[in-house]
Amino acid sequence: MSAAQLQLVSGVEGPTRTLHLWMRQRDRLRPLFTATWEILSQRFDAAEMDAWAGAVLDLANVNAGPSCLIAYWDASTSDGATEIAPLLGAARSGAEICRHAGAQAATDAFKALSAARRMLGSGAALSRWWRTMEKLATQAPESLAATAHHMAEILRPGTIAAFESFVAAGLRTAAGDRRKRLAFFSLQDELAQRMVARDPGAVTFSDVETELKAFLTALYGEVPLLRSISTDESAQTPQRRAAIAGPLIRLPEIYRGVQDDAARALFRAAAAHAQAHLALGRARFAIGQLKPLQVALVNLIEDARVETLAMRRLPGLRRLWAPYHVATPTGVATAPMLLARLARALFDPDYVDADGFVGKGRALFAAALPRLDEHAISREIGMLLGNDLGQMRVQFNAKTYVVEPLYRDDGLGLWDLGDDTTSSAETLELFIEALRPEQQESSDGPPREQDAANAAAEPGKARPAGPDERGVVIARYPEWDRVDAIERADWTTVREVAASLGDAGSIDQALEQASVLRGRVARLVRSVRLGRTVRLKRQQDGHDLDLDAMLDAGIALRSGETPDLRVFRSAKALHRDLSALLLIDTSESTRDRLASGATVLDVERLAVALLAEAMEELGDTFGLLAFSSDGRDDVRMTSIKRFSEAYDRDCRARLAGLSAGLSTRLGTALRHAGGVLGKASTSRKLLIVLTDGEPSDIDVPDPFDLIEDARRAAIGLHAQGIDAYGVVLGRAGVEAATRIFGRRNTMLVHRVEDLPARLSELYFRLARR
Amino acid sequence: MILDSYRIATEPYYQPQGQEIATFLAAYHERLPIMLKGPTGCGKTRFIEHMAWRLGKPLITVAAHEDMTAADLAGRYLLEPSGTVWHDGPLTLAVRHGAICYLDEIVEARQDTTVVIHPLTDARRILPLDKHNEIVPAHSDFQLTISYNPGYQSAVKDLKESTKQRFIAIDFGYPPPATESAIVARESGADADLARLLVTIAERSRNLQGHGLDEGASTRMLIHTGRMVRAGLPLPVAVQSGIVLPITDNPDIRAALSDAIEACLP
Ligand SMILES: Nc1ncnc2c1ncn2[C@@H]1O[C@H](COP(=O)(O)OP(=O)(O)OP(=O)(O)O)[C@@H](O)[C@H]1O
Ligand SMILES: [Mg+2]
Repeated sequence: MSAAQLQLVSGVEGPTRTLHLWMRQRDRLRPLFTATWEILSQRFDAAEMDAWAGAVLDLANVNAGPSCLIAYWDASTSDGATEIAPLLGAARSGAEICRHAGAQAATDAFKALSAARRMLGSGAALSRWWRTMEKLATQAPESLAATAHHMAEILRPGTIAAFESFVAAGLRTAAGDRRKRLAFFSLQDELAQRMVARDPGAVTFSDVETELKAFLTALYGEVPLLRSISTDESAQTPQRRAAIAGPLIRLPEIYRGVQDDAARALFRAAAAHAQAHLALGRARFAIGQLKPLQVALVNLIEDARVETLAMRRLPGLRRLWAPYHVATPTGVATAPMLLARLARALFDPDYVDADGFVGKGRALFAAALPRLDEHAISREIGMLLGNDLGQMRVQFNAKTYVVEPLYRDDGLGLWDLGDDTTSSAETLELFIEALRPEQQESSDGPPREQDAANAAAEPGKARPAGPDERGVVIARYPEWDRVDAIERADWTTVREVAASLGDAGSIDQALEQASVLRGRVARLVRSVRLGRTVRLKRQQDGHDLDLDAMLDAGIALRSGETPDLRVFRSAKALHRDLSALLLIDTSESTRDRLASGATVLDVERLAVALLAEAMEELGDTFGLLAFSSDGRDDVRMTSIKRFSEAYDRDCRARLAGLSAGLSTRLGTALRHAGGVLGKASTSRKLLIVLTDGEPSDIDVPDPFDLIEDARRAAIGLHAQGIDAYGVVLGRAGVEAATRIFGRRNTMLVHRVEDLPARLSELYFRLARR
Repeated sequence: MILDSYRIATEPYYQPQGQEIATFLAAYHERLPIMLKGPTGCGKTRFIEHMAWRLGKPLITVAAHEDMTAADLAGRYLLEPSGTVWHDGPLTLAVRHGAICYLDEIVEARQDTTVVIHPLTDARRILPLDKHNEIVPAHSDFQLTISYNPGYQSAVKDLKESTKQRFIAIDFGYPPPATESAIVARESGADADLARLLVTIAERSRNLQGHGLDEGASTRMLIHTGRMVRAGLPLPVAVQSGIVLPITDNPDIRAALSDAIEACLP
């Protein structure tokens, strides 16, 4: 613990002190607690930390138990947890669940939180999610764990309202029958399945996220930070608009009533508009003495300004945005109507509108065109027009106003919410209330650095296991202590854990679904088998003539000597003198779900299955080994296929049976893999490590320690003549992997979905040498 | 003269991007070997042709490939009616008679092939021909240039350190938009507006480099697309077939790139 924390502990009365004292007696929990505390202290101030400590104590007071506490800490340090309020709420709900349904249920609920955050954001929708979970804990305690386990599927429809009606329907149809309830909430029931099936035309943020990210990157040359905001299902409230928060673009989870291609186009329009603000506008307006109407107009002019700038560079954007400008110069001239008409007038040069206000707006904007690069013109023109409209005495209600057209952002991201204490600050509040309802519960200021810097999940740290679950000890290895700079002998214990058998058929099925890729790999295999030949020169027979041997024979003939008749070239299939070991990281973080609904582990599994099939076909010697860890005494190795074994149905069943959990003590795993490969008799030994993050373990607070240890282990492998390659899924682990394996031996797979293709490619390239 | 057929008679059009011409001239003056680095289709081949013309030296180009052996470079005995005759390979030809030898895509060759250039590219400037029992000292006009695309992934294919460190390097990137438009216009016959548009489109794809694409669209691709338009194909179709489809098979990236390109079109 650092000095600052000790001071805190000894200095202040209150939850922080109580919690630290309480932790003193808990050896197993303490390292992880310290790590958690450290991470959180960087995000939150002392008062907030005090509140958090109180929350932990509340959980401890309902006997939540270590697993539950750890799950809560994980939820607290995870990426999505940038605000304190939702975390405190989570602990309250967790305690409530614990009281009614037990500690395991609360633990499961915390684990389901990341899925909930992903679909619902961390605002009002998430509070409603917790309330629904509490309701479930009181009314159907036996079903809470099942619900938590299936959370990603249950939330597939993508909105909180859908979740609420799902739970309500489950409680209603089971009518108090526990067995029926359990069947419903574990999605065995037909109605349940129907309810979580998505509207086939619906397009949610996660469906388009990858594509949008690439689209914006291509457009503006900067990689955007995209997030979703939960949307309210009920048709009474207006559709949420996109929002900008610091560097983040937040898009609605779903645009209600818009489907298929139309929805995709709308997401693109909204994203392209928001990113135009960030890439070209970069305005930060001070609120000063502005009235709500003026704020709305400044936003409107700024929108027109950045769009004009963007269309100068990329004229086709006009086609993307034009369909949403549908205001017409008719009807009652209310303020929102006039604003929508002005927005159209500034966008569409062919739009005719005789209204004086609209005309004036157009003229002012046209006059300012030479200064289009300055965001000051937006403020100037917006203020002038706001005055005019004010004098026309049209009604403007900031509380009900929504930006038009639909694809534009709510405009709040353009305003400096800083320490502006002037009276007009409440102007913004009015808007905030109207536009971003969840902010009443949790402040939504500029995001913290962690959030902006990194979207990928942190490596998994998972619950400690009881001694009974541990496997047979098969080896002990040293570990490097970075702080003391010494190697600690026999520091880690490797246990062999028997594989649990899954359904081999599921692997075959997955392979069939990936038929295109499978075909590509099969072609690679064929070409290797063809090309993997030594060209044998000077042969008795063969498929073509050996030019050099022919020449020699010709020379011999002419000079009267007996020619060597071995003038053919033939190709012989080359037995590859190579053994390859695939080391598969199955730590907790591989449980994360991708946009497609598959987990990281599912993709790893497919990748391995695809490659294994190819290696078997090629007759290469290979082994498959999965690893995870739970502290230094319990580094688990599960053998999927040994070198000597054939890759058969049993191997596939073991592969299918892999499950995600625990942590990643990479250095030990590398040493062990070195031992396994070391026994192989081939001259070339290849180790490919598949991991989705940096090493971590519950008993090592500083990940650098494990990175450094793994780096040393990798150097050791090199000395043993083993080529070790790291294949890293997602940006998050790449820095660590580069340190460990070296830049040239690290392959980054940006999109997890690309892994199957990339892994096989890598193997084919490596094995060719 | 023996190498006359390797001489370049008319000036190959080359649009300079930076100091590359001066660098090449200085290196040639000192007879130092040169490495042209850069993504595919950015003018490396064109540049060496231009330089050979400018220096008035013959240019012998060899495209390296995986099966290339040292004999393919250095030479072998051939059988002729009169007996066996040693036949110089392209490299030996250049060394003996004084040409610029251009080894294109050097990383494609196996490393044991690549090492034959080592004695040529250090102070010795000789080519030992073991089979022919001869050591060929390099002609004073001889110069070796190689091309090399560092690429995005280089886990396997790379040059040996001892090879790399023998060369003066010139880096070729994509030229600035105005320059590139001029190149595209001239080479494809597209009008200035179309050329500029094609370059804007290329920028979209280059933005995705490292974020879904290994490399963005090359100048060569733009020229090809421009020519497809000139041959009467509508622009969006030409862009699809000339840029989007060749460059990626990933459906998300394809869709994103198509949409971004759509945003460029007037
Ligand atoms: N600076 C330039 N001046 C003139 N033409 C250029 C220039 N850059 C590119 N080009 C045009 O682009 C085409 C492709 O260039 P070139 O063939 O030289 O590419 P390269 O760099 O050798 O590519 P690769 O690595 O794929 O062989 C040329 O045929 C030429 O039309
Ligand atoms: Mg070339």
